Amino acid sequence: MPTFKLDGQEIPFEEGDTIIRAAYRAGVEIPHYCWHPGLSIAANCRMCLVEIRSGRQMALPVLKWDEKKKEYVEATKPKLQPACQVPAGEDMEVYAASEVALKAQESTQEFLLLNHPVDCPICDQAGECKLQDYWLTSQKKLKRKKTEPVHKPKGVRFGPTIVYDAERCIMCTRCIRFCDEVVGDHVLDMRERGNTNEIVLSPGRELDHDYTLMTEHVCPVGALTSRDFRFKARVWFLKSSPGVCNGCATGCNTWVDHDPRYQRVYRLRPRDNEEVNGYWMCDDGMMTYHGFHEDRILTGRVRAGGRVNEAPRELAVQAAAKVLEKVEKGKLAVVLSAQHASEDNYVLHKLAREHFGTDHVYLTAKPDWKADDILRHRDQNPNRAGALAVAGGKAKSMEDLVKDVESGVVTAVISLGAATTLNEAELAPLANLEGVGGAAHVNLTSNAGALASAASVVVPVASHAEMSGTFINAQGIAQQFKKAVRAPGGIKTAWETLIEIGAHLGWTVDIARLNDVRKDMPAKLPSATGASSAPAAPAS
Amino acid sequence: MEPYYEELEDEGSLELPSEPMKLNMGPSHPAMHGTIRMVLDLDGETVMDVDIQPGYLHRGFEKSCERGTWSQVFPYADRLNYVSPMLNNVGFALAVEKLVGLEVPERCTYYRTVLGELARICDHLTCNGATAMELGAFTPFLWLVKVRDWIWDILEQETGARLTHSFGRIGGMAKPPTDQLEETVLAIFPEIDHAMMETEALLMKNRIFLDRTQGVGNLSPERAIAMGCTGPVLRSTGVDYDVRKANPYMFYDRFDFDIPVGHDGDNYDRFVCRFEELRQSMKIIRQALEQMPKSGPVNSPDIRYVYPEKEDVYNSIEGTIAHFKLVMEGLKPPPGEVYSFTEGGNGELGFFIVSDGSGTPYRVRCRPPCWYNLAACKEMLVGDMIADIIPTFGSINMIGGECDR
Repeated sequence: MPTFKLDGQEIPFEEGDTIIRAAYRAGVEIPHYCWHPGLSIAANCRMCLVEIRSGRQMALPVLKWDEKKKEYVEATKPKLQPACQVPAGEDMEVYAASEVALKAQESTQEFLLLNHPVDCPICDQAGECKLQDYWLTSQKKLKRKKTEPVHKPKGVRFGPTIVYDAERCIMCTRCIRFCDEVVGDHVLDMRERGNTNEIVLSPGRELDHDYTLMTEHVCPVGALTSRDFRFKARVWFLKSSPGVCNGCATGCNTWVDHDPRYQRVYRLRPRDNEEVNGYWMCDDGMMTYHGFHEDRILTGRVRAGGRVNEAPRELAVQAAAKVLEKVEKGKLAVVLSAQHASEDNYVLHKLAREHFGTDHVYLTAKPDWKADDILRHRDQNPNRAGALAVAGGKAKSMEDLVKDVESGVVTAVISLGAATTLNEAELAPLANLEGVGGAAHVNLTSNAGALASAASVVVPVASHAEMSGTFINAQGIAQQFKKAVRAPGGIKTAWETLIEIGAHLGWTVDIARLNDVRKDMPAKLPSATGASSAPAAPAS
Repeated sequence: MEPYYEELEDEGSLELPSEPMKLNMGPSHPAMHGTIRMVLDLDGETVMDVDIQPGYLHRGFEKSCERGTWSQVFPYADRLNYVSPMLNNVGFALAVEKLVGLEVPERCTYYRTVLGELARICDHLTCNGATAMELGAFTPFLWLVKVRDWIWDILEQETGARLTHSFGRIGGMAKPPTDQLEETVLAIFPEIDHAMMETEALLMKNRIFLDRTQGVGNLSPERAIAMGCTGPVLRSTGVDYDVRKANPYMFYDRFDFDIPVGHDGDNYDRFVCRFEELRQSMKIIRQALEQMPKSGPVNSPDIRYVYPEKEDVYNSIEGTIAHFKLVMEGLKPPPGEVYSFTEGGNGELGFFIVSDGSGTPYRVRCRPPCWYNLAACKEMLVGDMIADIIPTFGSINMIGGECDR
């Protein structure tokens, strides 16, 4: 592999890589603002200027202050090149930390902060702001300008999701390039020149495409802020867990940012994965974190005498066991969920197969939604592939389930998740199911939904931020997500709850921990990232 | 019939079969300074062996330092040797400044010297006063503590607190000296002299005091060096090692002062050593106050480590960012380690700090001088009697906060 030298360190590069990209791949950061690995090169911030000593170096005539003579004298300085634009060459000698390069970084940083508003205490970006970080590493000095900074519009509503602050903006054009190149929607552009530069919307438009939150994500400063996250949490209190979005079958990789003090998730951020989602996520995916804390079912529900009573989780588990005890073997319908992790689906199917001997397997899922050819997949469910793999490749639909209930083929239902394509009226037969000795629909769910409303016993389980598990996306890639927050009130994961219910029924299974579940899952149901033909590796 | 008891030739030896008695001088004992447990093996009143068990005041300072920023170490540093907190503050600040390579203005160094030596005076006043009190001389304790209180008033005037000031900062001090510093400090010196004179008049020719301190708790210079003792404990044995002369730091090489040295290494020598050091401290303070620039900044102008002026913090983005980084992430010394040592109240107070480049210390290790003095205390005590434990232990000035951290 060809290499070049960056501050004495050998950096390998691929043909066509720029210096900054090769360094980025090697894990070495050259200070930059406007460059982004997923966008085109703009080279307008000038922060990544480096000294290239090999090849033909241009020397520029400058005036230098001579301390002894107390006057300016003629001198030369090497012409610096932007590392984001210059292609790496074999045996190049690049210096990002030489005296000239550091002075350039210092000056660039000073210019960027010249008219910057004193907003740190109220700016969301504080704690993850490149201006703050590079001030400490590059500038380290106070302001030299004594005049009033230039004032520009602040708090401009760009759309339903984004607010723009022109004073904080450093005009790096990342947002413009993102909308142009990734979304294909030229809704943002720059206006005026020099000091009075500003980002504006196309006339008559607002920022309303499906990836608006990514403009906030690429913005290196607090110019573009998300209205959803604005003022909610300070980022240095948030810890990040690696997650997978449960919004659709693309399975974008995420960082689940949560505050461990309150055990609450405050936002998602995209996690880079070249194979799956590149560097981005869609707005709906970014908003799925609301489902971790809103519309949750946190206590059991038991229907008795026509009324739905709330019950503590333990009682709901016992009630579920009582209901299932009386079920005729072979007449139980098991409903897998395309919204739930493979581990949950696997243990449910195992219980149904081993203890009840049933082969009536159905799949519930959210309906299809609007797709595009950027990231959004038509299938709104993260784990249809995983649930189907558990069922052996085929499962009947919810419409089939209603028919089978009405015709008496099945006399009891155990279902996972509350999401379904049918509405409450269509699910009425399930709600009115009278098995041997009483109502017979047990539902395990984390959130409220139509399927939970049609159950006679609802047992609360952990949401997917509260457990570690696997989703298999539309490409067939199995991706693991890690637990971020604790489930409230002693709520356990669905697979743990099923083992608990099974214990009441006399079902013994040699599974105690997540690793045991994963070892038990067959090879065609991978639990580790990799092709589906790879053997299931023990989880870390 | 044989006599009921036998005449013993040697008072100390027993002819009857017997075992040494184990007596516990527990962690809370009214006659001991600080919480220390000593399990004594006694032969009558004579101490055959003593098992000194420190650690009852261990508060996990060094570990707690790893859970905050560098500047959040100062309250912990204060509570090490809590009778001379300024010396600990200054010691730690010097350590981090050494790691960073940060220069402080001259005015700051002189200010640190003045406050540090005042703290040393307080330390010695307390130690000697308490030693005397434990021997039954209650009055000198009250005289010396009265003067100490007036010194604490000066420290309160300067720092805002009498004892736990947390006044040191990396790159300077929390506030510049007040205008009354020189006046109040010089006014206190005649009072210190007077109190010491009266105390010495009462004690130095007192038969009881001399019998109880001279020849008691002896330590030889070889053993003192072998055990790692420093400070008055070492100097009372005759070794003239003082960090301020041997490895001058701050401006101690600009001052003219002596190092008092004893010759027997007994309680009496330690007592006198401390008083003489006290007088030398007063001499140093006088010179420091003369040489100190009367105006000018006290803090380093490097805003990577020192808070910028509030005017800049509120009105410029750079000031805000500097303040933000210092508060939220802590100042970031370059990765590396340093051992910096100063003369604390009890001897060589060292700070070994390791930085991993982040705002949180990786390791802050304090070399507590009285830990090693305490180890040597065992040798001083073996062979003496229970009653000798009190003045001996008092004279090594074991401060629980520093010893156990």
